[in-house]
This record gives sequence, C-alpha cells and structure tokens, in this order.
Amino acid sequence: MIPHLPALIFLLPFAAAISMPLVSLVRVTWCRGLTLGVLVSMAVLSFVLCHQVVEYGPFHYPLAGWPPPLGIEWVADGLNGLLLPILASLACIGVWYASPTVVDGKGRVYYYTLVLLLVSGLTGILLAGDLFNIFVFLEVSALSSYALVGLAGGRALISAFRYLILGTLGASFYLLGVGHFYAVTGTLNMADLAERLPSILESKVVITGLIFMLIGLGIKMALVPLHGWLPDAYVYAPQSVSPLLAALVTKVALYAVVRLLYWVVSEQVIGQELPLLLLSSWLGAVATVVGAFLALSQQDLRRMFAYAGISHIGLIVMGVCVDNPTGFAGGIFYLINDAIMQAALFAIAGMVMYSHGICEIADLSRIRGHMPWTLTALIVIAVSMIGIPPSGGFFGKWYIILGALEASNYLVVAAVVGATLLTLGYFVKIFERIFGEREPIRGGVQAEGPLPMRVSIGVLAGSTLLLGILSDSVIRLILDHALPR
Amino acid sequence: MNAAALETFAIWLQRPNFLTFIVVFLWGLYIMIAHHNLIKKLIGMYLVQTSVIFFFITVSAKTGATVPILVDSDLVRPELYVNPLPHVLMLTAIVVGVATLGVSLALTIAVYRQYGSLDEEVILKQSRE
Repeated sequence: MIPHLPALIFLLPFAAAISMPLVSLVRVTWCRGLTLGVLVSMAVLSFVLCHQVVEYGPFHYPLAGWPPPLGIEWVADGLNGLLLPILASLACIGVWYASPTVVDGKGRVYYYTLVLLLVSGLTGILLAGDLFNIFVFLEVSALSSYALVGLAGGRALISAFRYLILGTLGASFYLLGVGHFYAVTGTLNMADLAERLPSILESKVVITGLIFMLIGLGIKMALVPLHGWLPDAYVYAPQSVSPLLAALVTKVALYAVVRLLYWVVSEQVIGQELPLLLLSSWLGAVATVVGAFLALSQQDLRRMFAYAGISHIGLIVMGVCVDNPTGFAGGIFYLINDAIMQAALFAIAGMVMYSHGICEIADLSRIRGHMPWTLTALIVIAVSMIGIPPSGGFFGKWYIILGALEASNYLVVAAVVGATLLTLGYFVKIFERIFGEREPIRGGVQAEGPLPMRVSIGVLAGSTLLLGILSDSVIRLILDHALPR
Repeated sequence: MNAAALETFAIWLQRPNFLTFIVVFLWGLYIMIAHHNLIKKLIGMYLVQTSVIFFFITVSAKTGATVPILVDSDLVRPELYVNPLPHVLMLTAIVVGVATLGVSLALTIAVYRQYGSLDEEVILKQSRE
C-alpha cells in the first residue's frame, strides 16, 4: 500500500499546471511532453490505486495527517477507484489527439496549463470526502473549462461567457445546499453526514438543501431543463478542447450526484420523505428523450453530438436512480462508456473539420472514400451509441433496462427504448448523408488527418468494443466494489 | 388577515438576515436573467455569490461570543465561542468568487474587443450574421 497515493494523483497534474508557465520560459516545446508525461503517470498511479482499492477495500486519506473531525479527508473507494483511471486515460488520449492542432506559442502554454488544471479539479471532485471540497474542485475545473472554451475566440467567447454565468449560478446553488446541510448537522464530512442525517429526517432544511444541491449539480451536468449552456460551449470550443470537455466535465458532475444521493443522504431519507430517486429517474427519462429529439433536428455535426451527450446523461441518471444494484451497475457502466463515446464523437467531428473543413451534416458526403479509417471508427461508435450487441453501449442499456424491470419502473424502460430508436434515427441521418449519394463527389484529397488523431480515434473506438466484450467482468467489479455500502 | 398568516409573518420578520439573503439572492438572479448588458449580468452573478456567503455567515453568527481560543482549558463553554469553520469556508468561497470574477471580466474584455459592444442582443445579432 502506498500511503500518499491519492494526494500524489492529485498533485501531479496540479504541480505540473502551476509550473507550466515556467517550463514554457525554458522551452515552449516541452509543454506537450510534460503534460503527456504527467497524465500517463497519473493514469498508471490511478490503475495502481484502483487495484489497491479492489484488493484491500476503500481507504481514507487524511490531508496533512489531520483526522476527519478536524481535518479534511479524501476517500478512495470502488466507485472513484474505477472512474479515476478512466478519467486519466481519457485526458491522456484527448491531449495526445489535440497535439497537432495546438501549435502556436502562447496559446499552447495556456492550453496545456488549463487542461492540467481541469484534470486536477476533476480528480479532486472524484476523491473529495466532504461536500465543501467538491464545491471548490467543481469551481477549479469549471473555471479552467470556461477559459478553455474561450480560447477559440470569436463566437466561443460569448458561449464561454454564458457557460460561466450558468456554471457559477449552479455552483452558488450547490454551495447554498451545502450551507443548509451544515446548519443542521454541523459537519461537512460525507461519512459523518450519513450518520447524522437519518435522525433529522423530518427537517425541511435537509430536503431543501438537497434540492438546492441537485439543482446546482444539474446545471453542471446539463440535465435537460438546465442544459442551455452545453451545446454552444462544445460547438464553438476549439477542436482540441471539446473531446476532453464532452467526455469528462458532465460525467464527473454526475458522479457527484451519485455520491450525494447514495453515500451522503442514505436511502431511508430519500425513500421516506420524498420519492427523490423516482422523481430523478423520471427527470432522466424526460432528459434522454428530449435530448435525442433535439439531436435529431440538428444540422451541425458537433451540435448533434452535443445533444446526443445530453440525451445520454439522462440515460445514466435513469440507470443510477432505478434504485437497485443492477440498474446502478448499468448506469455506472454506461457512464464509463458514454465518456469514451463522447470523446470519440467529438474527436471524429474535430478531425473531419480539421482535414476537410466540414461541420455541416449536409456536406458529409464529401468525406466518403477519403477518410476510410475515420468512417470505420464512426460506425463502431454509432453501433455503441445505438446499443447493438458486441459494443459497450448495448450492455449498459441492457443492465439499465433489467434494473428498471426489476423495480417495475416501466417509464424508464420506455424511455431507454425510445432514446435508442431516436439515436438510431440521428445516426441514420448521418450515414444516409455519407453513403446515400450514388456518385462519389470528385475532387478533395485522401486525407485522414495527422497520426495522433487517427490513432486516438482508433483507440477510443476499440475501447468501446473492448468494454462490450469485457462487460461481464466490469459489471462484476462494479457490483462487488462500487455499490453504496 | 387571519391569525396563522399573521404568525407566519411575525416569524419571518424575526429573521431579517434570512429575508435579506432571499431578497439579495433573487435580486441577483433577476439581474442575471433580465439585463442584456454583460457587466450587469456579472453584477447579478456576484450578488448571488455574495448572498450565499451572507447566508453562511448568518447561520454561524453569534452575539456576545468571542474567537475560539481556549484561555483556561479546564472548562469549555460552547456558548462563549463562535464556530470558526463557516467563516473559514467563506474565505475560500470569496477567493473562488474573486477568481470567477477575474475570468469573467477577462472574457468580457475579449468579447468587447471582438464585437465592440457589451449588449447581448447586439452581440448575438452580430454573431448570427
């Protein structure tokens, strides 16, 4: 057991981000190497952490050696032990993917610094053992994502501004909820809260605080009525940024909701006082169907993928909230899948734009015959997004439906099936455009894009298939180690 | 006005701090939604953040208490001391708020250089063209 492993995993990207401007003074070209090196070692350390958690059970890390009542603690258990390696590897692939597009001197320093800050913020949310730390790290990651979106200039600036306004509102709501909890329990530590909350069930303060926190996190994870900031921010963000943001930011906010619902507020609280899980699963059902409808009506490729991501957030919420282990495992499995698929979709859209300058779906027919590798990857990802058997997406949806049937929550079943059909619909729209034309349009060049882009898209597409093949053992891992108490 | 409503009203009036919090929070929210000027939106955002800080301080405020330093350690009387934790948390929240304001002002400057205006309507019209 390495005692300082959680702190090390957080400090690596953080220290690298702080030192990045200094490194760039020595040589600007070192930035990329440093970032990749840090992210790779972070991924390796997270796999070690995951292995140790599975082997020896969850462990608590008191920061600076102060135990919980006085100090802050970080907790590594099965859930975040499983998600940390995914976060680190996706960040790694995303940065490597983006390396050909990040070339100019000053922007490069900003980009790598901000990406590392984003990753360290997200790591902090995953590891935090108390509610206030989650707020701080939410803001660390959110501030760097506003700046990352704004890096593109032009229309991205106003989308970044709106993202900032809404994101800060979400954080304020969350903090307000934390204040309610603190006012009645006198603690912020999740384990202590879970002990003290059941005795004050009847308190309206607890319910009000919980709802405030859920609204705040709902804005952060773009659950449907609160998703307004997401499409613009992801569409106008630089190509180097949107795969990272789409894969990580909303998923980690969703993780915070899962933590809150299952680890802080124990089941009896939400069961007796108000059917919160049921309501959330209905919200998820609405989110997934509305998101899929909105995706179906888009003309811009990246905007369609952004709405697809919103729709899949609803799917995960449904899975997590059907309130039995099968659905929970399905939801977490789908969360991992969705992170990979979102990264891949935005990477593909970015690559199509990088090599052919296409961002409208109507122009997609021009890439047929010119980008066979990318098209293969797109087909694999589409198979997983729709949920056709060998892919990871299928097994995620399968377990979500099984869980919903177990809980006899038929609305969720209907919503998953409906969202699947609509997903099929918008991918048919894309493929019809690509393969529908009889004659391939002449002109244009055989251009796939640079090597890092091609390889990372291949890796992402391959890993969704791999997740599908290994789904049994991953689900088993979640069921054995990541379930709440 | 019946007696129950009057009583509720009296309870509300006894908590002027919470009333202030609600007014400031909603006022900030209204400014963020209703005004087209980006700087005004930021002012609204800052009001919301400040109101949440005010909420925390209100919860932890105590009259006639002092800083939590034990002089003689044989007897601890909690009513004599202020809980320092919410204040410390709010220091962090203020720092977060300042950082957010810094990023947002930088974005606003960039928007102004790009579009020559701070009015959201004008900016949206320009970016659609």
